[in-house]
Amino acid sequence: MTVIQGTTAVPEQRRHPRVRKRDGGLEPVDVTTIVQAVERWVADLGEVDPLRVATRTVSGLYDGATTAELDQLTIRTAAELIGEEPQYSKLAARLLAAYVDQEVRLQGVHSFSESIRNAHLQGLISDETAGLAARHACELDDAVDPDGDLRFEYFGLRTVADRYLLRHPQERVVLETPQYFLLRVACGLSTSPAEAIGFYRLMSSLAYLPSSPTLFNSGTRHTQMSSCFLVDSPRDELDSIYERYHQVAKLSKFSGGIGIAWSRVRGRGALIRGTNGRSNGIVPFLKTLDAGVAAVNQGGRRKGAACVYLEPWHPDIEEFLELRDNTGEDSRRTHNLNLANWIPDEFMRRVEADGDWSLIDPSDAPELPDLFGDAFDLAYRTAEKKAVKTVKARDLYGRMMRTLAQTGNGWMTFKDRSNALSNQTGAPGNTIHLSNLCTEILEVNSDDETAVCNLGSVNLAAHVTAGGVDWEKLRETVRTAVVFLDRVIDINYYPSEQAAKSNPRWRPVGLGLMGLQDAFFTLRLPFDSAGARELSTRVQEDIFLTALETSAGLAERFGAHPAYAETRAARGELHPDLWGVTPTQTQRWTDLRARVRTSGLRNSLLVAIAPTATIASIAGCYECIEPQVSNLFKRETMSGEFLQINTYLVRELKARGLWTAAIRERIKRAEGSVQQIAELPAEVRELFRTAWELPQRALIDLAAARAPYIDQSQSLNLFLSAPTIGKLSSMYLYAWKAGLKTSYYLRSRPATRIQQATVSVAPAALACSLENPDSCEACQ
Amino acid sequence: MTTIPPAPAATRQTLLDPGMDLTLRPMRYPHFFDRFKDAIKNTWTVEEVDLHNDLADLSKLSPAEQHLVSRLVAFFATGDTIVANNLVLNLYQHVNSPEGRLYLSRQLFEEAVHVQFYLNLLDTYVPDEQERFEAFAAVENIPSIARKAEFCFKWIDSIYELRTLRTREDRRAFLLNLICFAACIEGLFFYGAFAYVYFLRSRGLLHGLASGTNWVFRDESMHMAFAFDVVDTVRQEEPDLFDADLEHQVKQMLAEAVECEVQFAEDLLTQGVSGMSLTDMREYLQHVADRRLAVLGIDPMYGSRNPFAFMELQDVQELSNFFERRVSAYQVGVTGSVSFDDDF
Repeated sequence: MTVIQGTTAVPEQRRHPRVRKRDGGLEPVDVTTIVQAVERWVADLGEVDPLRVATRTVSGLYDGATTAELDQLTIRTAAELIGEEPQYSKLAARLLAAYVDQEVRLQGVHSFSESIRNAHLQGLISDETAGLAARHACELDDAVDPDGDLRFEYFGLRTVADRYLLRHPQERVVLETPQYFLLRVACGLSTSPAEAIGFYRLMSSLAYLPSSPTLFNSGTRHTQMSSCFLVDSPRDELDSIYERYHQVAKLSKFSGGIGIAWSRVRGRGALIRGTNGRSNGIVPFLKTLDAGVAAVNQGGRRKGAACVYLEPWHPDIEEFLELRDNTGEDSRRTHNLNLANWIPDEFMRRVEADGDWSLIDPSDAPELPDLFGDAFDLAYRTAEKKAVKTVKARDLYGRMMRTLAQTGNGWMTFKDRSNALSNQTGAPGNTIHLSNLCTEILEVNSDDETAVCNLGSVNLAAHVTAGGVDWEKLRETVRTAVVFLDRVIDINYYPSEQAAKSNPRWRPVGLGLMGLQDAFFTLRLPFDSAGARELSTRVQEDIFLTALETSAGLAERFGAHPAYAETRAARGELHPDLWGVTPTQTQRWTDLRARVRTSGLRNSLLVAIAPTATIASIAGCYECIEPQVSNLFKRETMSGEFLQINTYLVRELKARGLWTAAIRERIKRAEGSVQQIAELPAEVRELFRTAWELPQRALIDLAAARAPYIDQSQSLNLFLSAPTIGKLSSMYLYAWKAGLKTSYYLRSRPATRIQQATVSVAPAALACSLENPDSCEACQ
Repeated sequence: MTTIPPAPAATRQTLLDPGMDLTLRPMRYPHFFDRFKDAIKNTWTVEEVDLHNDLADLSKLSPAEQHLVSRLVAFFATGDTIVANNLVLNLYQHVNSPEGRLYLSRQLFEEAVHVQFYLNLLDTYVPDEQERFEAFAAVENIPSIARKAEFCFKWIDSIYELRTLRTREDRRAFLLNLICFAACIEGLFFYGAFAYVYFLRSRGLLHGLASGTNWVFRDESMHMAFAFDVVDTVRQEEPDLFDADLEHQVKQMLAEAVECEVQFAEDLLTQGVSGMSLTDMREYLQHVADRRLAVLGIDPMYGSRNPFAFMELQDVQELSNFFERRVSAYQVGVTGSVSFDDDF
């Protein structure tokens, strides 16, 4: 860029700006025209004021702006009003849909089949999908729901438009509308138009969405649709380490998130026989991995991401825990890698007993990564004789807690529990060596097999009304979801041969859940109530049971997955049995067991609760199983910033006549908390607590209660505004004792914050006068 | 070691009394010390900011937006250095409290980090060496920036000769300098820049600039709050320093600062930026000035409202998708020891 430019005379800003039309001519902007453009979309949006949008748009415009700039500004202006009235989100979404629609039409595309033909010509769509769309053009074109886009909120549609819609390789204009996009995804996974239309309708209703790699790539020439790859630790040799860099780069390029273990590589100071030198340990190698991950850009849609797993007996564990610190020598920091501890129970037991803990070099005990349970304990105790160093277990545990508090990283995942309670570890020699990037996937792997998982999530919000859960609808959604998750395994492009080897053998899938918080709001269940725990557990039981039934049905048609004999299910043990719980739907479980005995299962694993960050945005629901972080917050993505407001709360406040500027300001000042809004009854404030205001014990209890019905694991974030080592060490010990297999980020808040710019300046003397809010100066 | 007993209340000095107080116990101004500790928790380093994707964004901007960004970074190139200079030359010697000076030392470190951040930013944004030299000389080359710099220099000079604050007039001169740097320079010039960066940020542009600047502004908010804290402390200790005359001078100073910043906005927005009109920017600056007056307990001059809805986005918690952004919400300096029965 050029910094110094000649100073030009400042033209006086015109009071009535003009727009430059596509033909180059200038014409005055007419507020009425904008009002009319807005009014087309507000029939069911009673609270929207088209004139307000129009005048604010004109105020932000400059003289000579293009019509495209005017359209974009109108959309953004509508979106800026969401904080006052959530209906503006729908308006902004519809204006954006119209804008996208126009962009597609301008290329001469007027139907789904035309969009596929066009994108196929550009080399983006696979021949199979193009063929299906051409053969059944009329049927598929007719299936497009003209009102489909009306269901989107603004943030969801903006995300779709900016990152999911296929674009022209050179001109970068969009080649498909949001509905064409969903139908394209469905066609990419279907063998008949009827199947495609059924799956399209489910996605278009936003009741279920596959994960981002599937949405990005289904139907295209690059059908890498899996989200997660679990790469075993490189062997303790240079060739293997560099092979892993190569593999990680290939997996990352096609939108996968990577988990990679590193416990087999010797630590600092260990002897290298070939050169008779001493090893520099794992940190320099991880630094290289860090740079490699950062270099891979996933098609411009998101950055590559990886998580490194290390067992706490590794001699470099302390340096590992410093990799994300923002101080210290930068050559020993990895800003792009996530870190996770892969913890054997023996460590936690010694923490509890305040015992010593031995650090052991893997070159002295190469068997440790492949062992769990009693076998690990025995081998570890034997290897302790060769310890490189001995530390207090509690000191190391405290160091782990510090890393969590300071970086949010260094996730606590539990090796023994993960292995003992897995369907895949039924035969000796099969070990789970790590979890994935988001700690919800637990699958066996080895040096020459990289575990793969493709994901999708049910939107529970779409299956719940104030009357309760629509169980039949939920089951129908799960049945469709599992069939299409299973389908991905055969169509998927595997970026590495290790991945291609593993997935057809085990056929694991990860069906998740999102919108649990929506369901709790709809049913008015506080997150930490017994009712919430019961609902969450029963929903999870039903999802898991239905998923197993569907997988049994697939096995009856296509056969059990090839590694079925190595699973615990083959010995008659299903996941709730491993937990020792008794499910509630006794008859269905009994019937299922009979079918499994006869035909086995098509999939070794079925359920995993992924974070759903992006697809929950598209669906317009709360993420996975998480509580809301705030009643008012913003999301920040590559598309920009988006204000998110709790619409359930807004409805409640409106019903009580409390949705006023003064109340809004108080919520903003309290950073999205309603605990100080005394006008709301206690039970309403209880319902609308944020993640920061909930006892974290409840989050762990809910997770533990549903865990018997999750055969992989859950991305469980925990939230502490002001973490201390004491709180954290208590919390994670509790999580371990509750039997959780994994946990995910520790979320905390900054110690200080930017002064709020848009709430009124309130010197201490001007506290809110709750008895007489109208005369309270602080809120004017 | 001998312990010197605290001075009896009658002889206890005030914050602006000349001297080099070294006694931290008993602590006279614990709130200053708390601010010092809070600041340490928010340590960040330049290496954490990833400017990689900004280069791609820069090429996507319209010429008008590129002009805006180029002017903005030219302002940033020297802005923090000026603030640091005033801190060393004028503030540190007169705030006679060791805990207050701890905070100022910390602030000085933060200003240095900001300088390093913008140095890194310009080195990245402006690959041509000659152009880079010109950017760093913006206070001489670019009239709209030169005018802001002159305003700053005038106020630095206003008390530069003062070695001790003996008289009432000395102290009022000091207060005006302090208020100038808090309310006008950090509180208005930087807040103006804040708006441009957040305008771009709200549209998903220049993430590196936005995240680094976000941390800069988190720090600046604290600097400003500390300065106003000093003002309040002095007001409690020496209420008679605050009279209609001082109020008048503060208003005049802010009005001048607003005019400086408006002419800067005229330069930045001269080619037309959709979503950010000069009219709106002027109103925004007036609104910010009124807010500064409000903190000082002075009636508003303009009665303007904030026209920029995207600024509201800066007032709420952020939740980043870690696939896309580095999360900036973590704390440095966690305390405590391992225990198993803490509440959580």
